[in-house]
Order: sequence, then C-alpha cells, then structure tokens
Amino acid sequence: MNMDAELDVWRGQWQSGTTIPLDLRRRVERRSRLMKVGLIADILVTIVMGGGSTVWALYSPEPDTILLSAVIWLFLAAAWTIVLTFSRGAWFPSALDAAAFVDLTVRRCRGALAAIRFAAGLYLCEIAFCLGWIYNHSPEHRKRLLTWLFFSSLRIDIVWLATLAFFGFLIWYRRNQRAELAHLVTLRAQISPSADERLA
Amino acid sequence: MDRAALEQHFDRVLAANGAALTRLAASYTNTPSDRDDLLQEIAIAIWQALPRFRGDCSERTFLFRIAHNRGIAYLARSRSQVAGLAEEIEVYDPAPDPESGLAQEQRAARLRRAVHRLPVAYRQVVTLTLEGLGYGEIAEVLGISESNVGVRLSRARQILRESLENRK
Repeated sequence: MNMDAELDVWRGQWQSGTTIPLDLRRRVERRSRLMKVGLIADILVTIVMGGGSTVWALYSPEPDTILLSAVIWLFLAAAWTIVLTFSRGAWFPSALDAAAFVDLTVRRCRGALAAIRFAAGLYLCEIAFCLGWIYNHSPEHRKRLLTWLFFSSLRIDIVWLATLAFFGFLIWYRRNQRAELAHLVTLRAQISPSADERLA
Repeated sequence: MDRAALEQHFDRVLAANGAALTRLAASYTNTPSDRDDLLQEIAIAIWQALPRFRGDCSERTFLFRIAHNRGIAYLARSRSQVAGLAEEIEVYDPAPDPESGLAQEQRAARLRRAVHRLPVAYRQVVTLTLEGLGYGEIAEVLGISESNVGVRLSRARQILRESLENRK
C-alpha cells in the first residue's frame, strides 16, 4: 500500500470514534472497584491471619503453633496464587472501545468461574485442617469425632452454618456468572465471530 | 481579554477540538474514568493557558502541546505506564484476524490498541499525525526537530504495520 494512502486509512479509522455503551462501561467500572476492594480484603486477611499466627508461633514456639502458622501461610500462598492467576489481564481493557470492554468482561467472568472451583476446594482443605487442629486441642477430643463435629458446641455449629452460607453463595455466584458469560459470549459473537477464539 | 470573551473562546476551542483531545487523552490512559480525568485536567490547563495565547503558533498546536504535556504528567504519576516512556515495547496485538471479523469498527479498534501499545515517544507522533498535524506542527507541539518527527513516525509506522499485519 502507498505510504500516504496507508496513513489516510489509519487516519480515517483513528478519527472514526467509538462509543462504549454506558451500562457496559458502568458494569466494568463497578467490577473494577469490587476487584480493588477484594484485593484490599485479601491483603488484610493475609496480615491478620498470617501475621497473627506468626506472632503466636513466636510467642509460644511449640511444634503445634509452628505447624499451624506454616499451614496458614501455605493456605495464604495458595489463595494468592488463585487471586493473581485469575485476575491477570482482567484489570484494564486493551483499548477504550466496546469490543475491548466486552472482552474484558468475558475474561473476568471466566476468571471468576475458574476461581470459584479453586476457592471451594481451598475452603474445604482449610476447614478440614482447622477442625482437625481444634479437635486435637479440644479437651473433649476423646469424644467420637462425628459427635464432636456436630453436637459438641455452638461454635462448631456456627462454622457449619458459615460453610453452608459460603457454598450457597458460591452456587448463586456461579449461576450468575455463567448466565452473564453466556450473554456476553453471544454479544461478542455478534460483534466479531472470531473473537471468542482468542479468549478461550 | 475579559472573562466573558475568554469563556467564549474556551467553549469554541473545546467544541472544535473536543473529539481530538478525547482521543489524545485516551491514548495515554487505560480506562474511561482515567481518560475523563485526564481530559478534565487538559481542559483546566487550557483554561489557565488561554489568556497567554498570543498567536505565535496555530491554536491547534497550542492546544495539543498543552494536552501532551498533561498526558506526560499523567504518565509520570502512573507508575504502571512509565515503562513505556523509555523502553521500546514489542507491539503484539492479541486481537482476532482483521480479515475475519471485518467491520470497520474492528479495524479501528485494532489500530487504537496497537497505537496504545506504542512507546510513548512514538505514540505522541502517531496520534498527532492521525489528528492531521503536519511535521512542523508536531515538531512545535513536542519540542523536537522536524527530522526527528520523521524518524519517529517512520519507526512507529513500521511497528504499527507489523503489529497489524501479524494478525493477517
């Protein structure tokens, strides 16, 4: 292509302008804010849980507290791996146009769906370890495990209720994300039939 | 210039150049809210500078110089973008094959992405060229020589071409 003709074509494309639908833009910005809040929450949890367990292990350097601190740091590392892996490339659109915003929203939905599976698995591991640790240190640990798990104290019952609520939330969130993803993929296909391939 | 005349002048230049300034602000930012913030900063800087405009250069050159200076100030504040000031990044566009999607908007979007990924020195020259400024005006806006504009533009076009052709 002639150099000036090429520049003219680019100039036309550059000045063609683009509009990002307001609701899409708001959705992306709302999600960005939530991601930032989530990141701050993760940092706080790391400081409180990791720092707290480390301080405890330092003040009572017994094998059990050291083990607890080490495992908590292991769980935190796993959680951060999930957070960083699935938020990679999901902070900013690649350009300020509608297609890039849809791409970003699709990427975020897919990241969230994958993160849900890992979060559920990690939560189960954490609960299993924590309950095991508490059971071993409980004065009632001579009770049968099942009796202890379900009928020993209100605190353990609250853990189960929280677990139920957490998994209820995950199921609702997963459904919500899957519905949004289906809608966005359809929308994306209408904008560009081949666009979905690069997001896979 | 009295305040009413200044306001009138300000409204006129913004109306005439608003779209170009928006595109220019977008080339420095990653999100619409950042772009709007930068655009607002540019508008304030223009408002403050307008009384000093003596017609030594064209009005457009004057506006773009202010806008680019604000853009650079924005990059200086935004650490994630500063890397682009010095290093020459590889421009790879992960967008789909342009010949398969094929709406004009798709090609325009791809071009905007490729421009956005250029090192800032090239990005400035390209955005001004695409806004229709000549070598002399670009040299005035950026405070570099015309031959330097030519060199940067030539290199920038090569990178853009490679980036866009990679997907064919």
